[in-house]
Amino acid sequence: MVPEFISFTEKFCTGCTQCVRACPTKAIRVHNNKAVFLEELCIGCGECIRVCQEGAVSSSVAPIEPFLKNKLNAAIVSPVLYAQFPGFTPADVLTGLKQMGFDHAIDLSYYIEMFQYAADEVVAENQKKHHYPWPLISPICPVVIRLMVLNYPNLLNHILPLKRPVTLLGGELRKKLSEEHGVAEEDVVLHHITPCHSKVVPDCSGLMNELGFVDQAVGINRIYPELLACMEQLKEKELNLFPNEHFSFVPSTRGPLWGMSGGEIAGMRTDGVIAVSGLKETRAYLEKIEMGLFGEIQYIEFRACAEGCLGGPLTAIDRYMAKSTVQKFIKMFGIGRRLPREKIRQLYDKGWFLSELEPAALIDIYDSTKNALTIDEMKQIEKLITRIHGNDCAACGAPDCRTFAEDVVRGEASLTDCFKMR
Amino acid sequence: MSSLKKCFNIRSRDFIHAGEASITVQQLLKQMRIDSALIRRIAVCGYEGEMNVVMHGGDGRFCIEINTERIVLDISDEGAGIPDIARAMEKGYSTASDAHREMGFGAGMGLPNMEKNADEMFIESVPGCGTKVRMIFFNRST
Repeated sequence: MVPEFISFTEKFCTGCTQCVRACPTKAIRVHNNKAVFLEELCIGCGECIRVCQEGAVSSSVAPIEPFLKNKLNAAIVSPVLYAQFPGFTPADVLTGLKQMGFDHAIDLSYYIEMFQYAADEVVAENQKKHHYPWPLISPICPVVIRLMVLNYPNLLNHILPLKRPVTLLGGELRKKLSEEHGVAEEDVVLHHITPCHSKVVPDCSGLMNELGFVDQAVGINRIYPELLACMEQLKEKELNLFPNEHFSFVPSTRGPLWGMSGGEIAGMRTDGVIAVSGLKETRAYLEKIEMGLFGEIQYIEFRACAEGCLGGPLTAIDRYMAKSTVQKFIKMFGIGRRLPREKIRQLYDKGWFLSELEPAALIDIYDSTKNALTIDEMKQIEKLITRIHGNDCAACGAPDCRTFAEDVVRGEASLTDCFKMR
Repeated sequence: MSSLKKCFNIRSRDFIHAGEASITVQQLLKQMRIDSALIRRIAVCGYEGEMNVVMHGGDGRFCIEINTERIVLDISDEGAGIPDIARAMEKGYSTASDAHREMGFGAGMGLPNMEKNADEMFIESVPGCGTKVRMIFFNRST
């Protein structure tokens, strides 16, 4: 079975084992020169998509459907989109989306600011009540959440129990748009334009009910060429200073900054914060938290992609180029604060930000008690590793000798798959 | 009774690799689906023990023995030894150097933390020869 996050074209696969080695949860093997996916271990990080040079592994994000005339099409814009166009402002991008045919292009900056405020509140409250263990962990990156469920279930109670900005926005958007335009709710089509290919699967970690209300996730790379053409057209017409309309909030720099590693915490007041990006680093930090370290840190922003969402698998331009664009925005506009704190405080007190699901309840999405190894099996594995005495060449189709030995002991691979054992 | 034993070397003053034995053990225990709260207690003890050796001990050894009833963690070193064990067990008592404190260590919580997280703990130490710490965890889940 192929995990729902990716689409696999078997005829292109050469069995090169690049993806096998790249997979952080060891969820891929090569059998008979073709990749085989262990769906139950996939966290949707997209590393296999990045490394596959044959084009056999790609994102399962669907191409954008042609707009239907009788529907109201709204784009919910991941702020990472703005960073893809050096030389244009966020407002240009929103205008360009409308030129492309979207009836609305909705910016997330306000919701990002609200989330950051709420996160500060949880930290401040926790300093008094100690309801959650330190450090609190950002709920934003879905891949990190799934990684924690699979490998660090101990730490789930560290996750900040807040809804993510898109979820906050989405709660009422469809209703508002349908009222505003006098169309039926089912005629409002919400497209989430995103750099993250793991957003395509509805409700995958239970924490983020995003696809419950978003109709379609659209990869940034899918719309990039068309959007760029529209924006260039507009630039020629010098129409790029559109006033904002309903829902098309004027973007603030918090948006673009959000996509960068460290952008989430940059907008928070809390001081004891760190930002960690990249899967390898994320794992190292989670391991250390498990060993009792970082108790003096209040909040950690984890992003599975190096450099944050700017490095997402569905982006159109290089992450460092995108980062440079964001840095330019910050120089131009500053970070700023635009929302009245008392109002957000009222919403916070009403529980508007709270996620319905306690993170600890996520533990059941991966069935982790199924495959426990006994002590005798562990000893067999150790013995096999000594016998193989290999160097993790992956020629057997497993990512390393230890995993291969485990597969053999479980009866899922044959010892003769290892060329040293033939 | 069948048991799995694994040992690792710990090098004195090797702050870069400190904690690696505990991480490897963590991964082994996860493969065996040992109760995750227990894994965390073992990880905390392992890490604190490793750091003690790296900071105060000479070279040392980190051994774990796992069977269905219990998990035994033995950490031994050939370092300076502890002259007054009762004192060393007090919260906040530390002999860490200024350099260690600058790195964020030396809060005097290492041994107390280990004692708190282990089900049973024994220390033997001979000043000038070294220290042996044995921690026992009862594996109630299997």
